[in-house]
Amino acid sequence: MKTKPNKSLKKSGLGLIRRNSTAWLLLLPSVLLFYFFVWRPIGIGFMYSFFKLQNYVPTQFVGFDNYREVVTDMLFVKTLTNSFKYVLWSFVIGFVPPILFAVMINEIVHMNGFIKFSIYFPQIVPVVAAALIWYFLYLPGESGVLNILLGKLGLPANDWLQNANQTIPLIIIMMTWQGCGGSMILYLASLQGINQELYEAAKMDGAGVIRRFECVTFPAIFPIVLLQFVRQIIGVFQVMIEPMTLTDGGPNNASVSLNLQGFKYAFQNFQPERALALGVITFIILIVVTCFYFRLQKKLGE
Amino acid sequence: MKAFENKDTGILTSLDFKLKRVRIGYWIMFGVLLAISLSFLFPAVWIILSSFKDVKEFLSTPPTLFPHSFHPEKVIKVWSKMNISRSYLNTLIVSAGDMFFAIVVNGLAGYVISRLKPKGANLVFLLVLWSMMLPSSVSLVPLFMTFMDFPVGHFSMMNSYWPMWLCKGANAFNVLLFKSFFDSISISYIEAARIDGCTDLGIFGRIILPLSKPVVTTVAIFSFNATWGEFLWPYLVLKDKALYTVPVQIFRMKSAGFMMDEYVIVLLFAMIPLLIMFLLFQKQIMHGVSLGGIKG
Repeated sequence: MKTKPNKSLKKSGLGLIRRNSTAWLLLLPSVLLFYFFVWRPIGIGFMYSFFKLQNYVPTQFVGFDNYREVVTDMLFVKTLTNSFKYVLWSFVIGFVPPILFAVMINEIVHMNGFIKFSIYFPQIVPVVAAALIWYFLYLPGESGVLNILLGKLGLPANDWLQNANQTIPLIIIMMTWQGCGGSMILYLASLQGINQELYEAAKMDGAGVIRRFECVTFPAIFPIVLLQFVRQIIGVFQVMIEPMTLTDGGPNNASVSLNLQGFKYAFQNFQPERALALGVITFIILIVVTCFYFRLQKKLGE
Repeated sequence: MKAFENKDTGILTSLDFKLKRVRIGYWIMFGVLLAISLSFLFPAVWIILSSFKDVKEFLSTPPTLFPHSFHPEKVIKVWSKMNISRSYLNTLIVSAGDMFFAIVVNGLAGYVISRLKPKGANLVFLLVLWSMMLPSSVSLVPLFMTFMDFPVGHFSMMNSYWPMWLCKGANAFNVLLFKSFFDSISISYIEAARIDGCTDLGIFGRIILPLSKPVVTTVAIFSFNATWGEFLWPYLVLKDKALYTVPVQIFRMKSAGFMMDEYVIVLLFAMIPLLIMFLLFQKQIMHGVSLGGIKG
């Protein structure tokens, strides 16, 4: 992009330099903060992943040793598959509901505000508080809220998070409860942007309700569907605080994700170099996903 | 039905409602949505109602789902016992600093990139955009190292709010939000101010920010909400109990052992400020979310 200096400035090069330097002075705080808290950490993260650290200070270059240790750790395959399981379950459980909710809410003329409010509301609850609320809902035994409900329906109590087969889907249900409202608002905004004449035209052609959805509604929101698809992969793949609060990775590591394991390496087992190596691995997987998205978007744009 | 006659947007419009099966379908859809809404509200409603029941009810077998006893005084007791006023104050201090950095530092960055455009600013903007897409997994340990031992001057920021505040000054999304809003401000305002002898910083403070109330409010609200939900860094950085923010306090309570009836009340306290914000600014918040999708 070319800058367009205004007329008065064109006259003197000195003025331009002065203008540039005051501008840079105003930009300086941001550049420094970005440097120290975003760019530099990523750089040294990559670099130090090839070092042994002592007390968070690099001491010795060890090549790919940290990576070897991480990958051959018994837990690595488990955490990797768990992270993919989180993503998979998040699509099974959480991907379609916000689309359906948005499409339905857009058609509804009664209690619109209340319905939007209640579906969006969980989004404003702090993640830790939300996870703790669900911790009580999922409590096994008689005092668990969901078990009380089951009891009222005459059904036997469930072990909820304690049952390793259910842990990840149940955490995903909690995350869907919390996150679905945000996606719903996105879809709603895009639905409200649809030109009504398209529907009129479809109707003229004799399109029924389902045809109208297929030919007008869905194509209109498709870019957001795609965006949410990729965002969900990237977001859920990095899940950490929810399992940390709900299960701390248990039972028997059934819900440890890559990032949670990285956190444990860094701050519980005091093996920060492993956390770095694992972080780089996660980083690379996610960058591949992001690149894939941009290529897809470009293709669709053509 | 009047409501149907006026419906002129969406897939179904007033003409469709002349058909009986469309009307039946509509009410089924409405019923489904209502049921979903209620089940979404259930966890929070349960927390609120449970806050008022006594501990006996929590421990009785089978426990009650909705309270039979009503003890509002318990809420006040837990407030002082758990020293919630302290953690509220702490979280308010953090959010005030966060808002300052989000509005002033990110705002200035957006202003320089959008309006002053010095040579090289585009490169900075590109780098900022990139950093928005990078996952945070690699920077966890390096950031911790930076907070423990800052590379310039070698001082520690542990046990203070500076790590949270400074990181807010490096929020790529806010920079982008400000930049795209400032792009739409007419250049003639800025020219006029400059002729009157206003400095660049003066223009930002006196012209740009007052003209940008919508984006400033959005950033302020989201910054406030983010602080009250922020957990990871406060948890790692704040070791002193007197400095805990609300999310750190509620997380630490879990491992410290707790009485369930008191815990429920603390969770309620964690939600109240955000609930008030949401009720006050519902429109701006929902609009802000949809902004994020288009730009992000």
